[in-house]
Amino acid sequence: MSKHVLIAEDETFLADTMGKLLQKYSVRVTIAYDGKEAIKALENEVPDLLLLDILLPKLDGHGVLKFIQDKELEFPVIVLSNLSDRQTKEECKRMKVKHYIVKNDIDDDDLWPAIEQYLR
Amino acid sequence: MNMRIAKVTSDGTETKLRILAKEKEHVRRKLVVTAEKLKLKAKQLAVTAKQKEHVRRKLVVTAEKLKLKAKQLAVTAKQKEVVRRKLVVTADELRISRATLEKKVLERTKDLEQVKAKNEAILASIGDGLVATDTDGRILLVNKAFERSLGWKREEVIGKRLSEVIPMTDAIGNTLSASERLKIKTPNGSTAATMYYRRKDGTSFPVTITVAPITAGNRLIGTVEVFRDSTKEKEIDRAKSEFMSIASHQLRTPLTAIRWALSSLKREKLTDEQQRLVVTAHETSTNMAVTIRRMLMISHLEEDDAEPELAEVDLHDLVEKVTRLHDAHCRRNGLTLIVQCPHTLLVRTDEQLLVEILDNLISNAYKYTPRGGTVRLRVGKKEGMIRISVADTGCGIPLAEQKRIPEKFFRASNVASPAEAGTGIGLYMVYNIARVIGGTISFVSKENTGSTFTLLFPS
Repeated sequence: MSKHVLIAEDETFLADTMGKLLQKYSVRVTIAYDGKEAIKALENEVPDLLLLDILLPKLDGHGVLKFIQDKELEFPVIVLSNLSDRQTKEECKRMKVKHYIVKNDIDDDDLWPAIEQYLR
Repeated sequence: MNMRIAKVTSDGTETKLRILAKEKEHVRRKLVVTAEKLKLKAKQLAVTAKQKEHVRRKLVVTAEKLKLKAKQLAVTAKQKEVVRRKLVVTADELRISRATLEKKVLERTKDLEQVKAKNEAILASIGDGLVATDTDGRILLVNKAFERSLGWKREEVIGKRLSEVIPMTDAIGNTLSASERLKIKTPNGSTAATMYYRRKDGTSFPVTITVAPITAGNRLIGTVEVFRDSTKEKEIDRAKSEFMSIASHQLRTPLTAIRWALSSLKREKLTDEQQRLVVTAHETSTNMAVTIRRMLMISHLEEDDAEPELAEVDLHDLVEKVTRLHDAHCRRNGLTLIVQCPHTLLVRTDEQLLVEILDNLISNAYKYTPRGGTVRLRVGKKEGMIRISVADTGCGIPLAEQKRIPEKFFRASNVASPAEAGTGIGLYMVYNIARVIGGTISFVSKENTGSTFTLLFPS
């Protein structure tokens, strides 16, 4: 059965690019364009991996992480954000985020090598 | 009968004569004795006379001596009188001098008091806190600003140890020991990181401290410390980095879309011209992303509380990762890269910061080395220190400009073309990052021959 990745990203172009890219590796993708949608998707189905932006409309990434913690959901989370301040990074680390990627510092095709190991 | 009478008569005379003779003999004898006595007396008298003469002579000599002595005494008395008179004159002069001196001392004391009052007024008026300590760290002097900003009165702190009265804490509230306080000073006397002073009421504030030794002749007698409450600066710094954070995020969001779009476009079938344009645009967007990352990092490093995130790092892997990032540049410019690095060299350091340093040094080496040149990267460990050097055969840095290398926005004047123009923040950042990981940067450079930058940091 193919792996399922939930992408929580409000920038539609980026979300769709990521989605297309992952589909090339036979990954099933769900896209949530805001925090609330992400929660709804998580309630619906626990993914194999969550690619989470931090600055999201309606509910931010920290809110999503808190929901995951409160519901004791077990799956890896990788944050993909353009925030790179220490507080945000530390908060994510505290919330057991596996990897923190600054979107601006990678190309779209750098994404797969960076997340592949969390889907094995 | 006559005869008898005659006889009788003659017998009487004879007796008388005999008695007379006897008496005379007695007298004579007495006279002889007397004569003897007299002779003796005369002899004694002669001796006495001789003695008296001797005494007289002695007396004459003594008298002569006394006369001489008297003369000498008269001379001495005369001299003494002269001296006495002179002394009287000198005493008068001294009295006058003393009076003059007393007057002068009074005037000078008044002057000094005025200067002292002025100095005290200056000290009191200094807006920054000031505290002088002896070599034992005991407080000798404080100014008004010290009292105001720390809540201690002068008389409460004089003679006490500064480190006991005013605890110094770091950004996370750890109190520094007296010896640690000494270590935080940079060679120019100011603190490298932000430290906090605790007031009498227990509250703290960030301080900028400058310490200077006090020397008397060649002897160190203490230190003088000037500190400033840097709360306002900290607030400004915070506002600045918040702005940087927001601004960079706003720049990054569209840039990510551009970068990713160009990156995916690059993989499409394009004409050569289109490919060239897309590659250039993609490279530019990548460079811009790097610039934003560096700007943020500088802003972070300048905040003073940058701390390395230590982890085990394999230098061989790290070097390979960083050099790979520049492979395209290396090939395009026909450069040769020679890497010398032991296969397994583990160090405990901040990987991201080390990557930034190497990335900068390699990128510079490639940027400033003409076609056909060589870049050599050497990694080694010696006495607990890791040494990484990046040497190029490039244009080098003019000698006169070399001391400006660590400056922000410094750009060497001999850079060949504007295409090679950088932002001038790379090396500034390298120096600052090296400091955060406890290392140093040094370099050797010769114009038109090349440069070697060396990073030395604890393993």
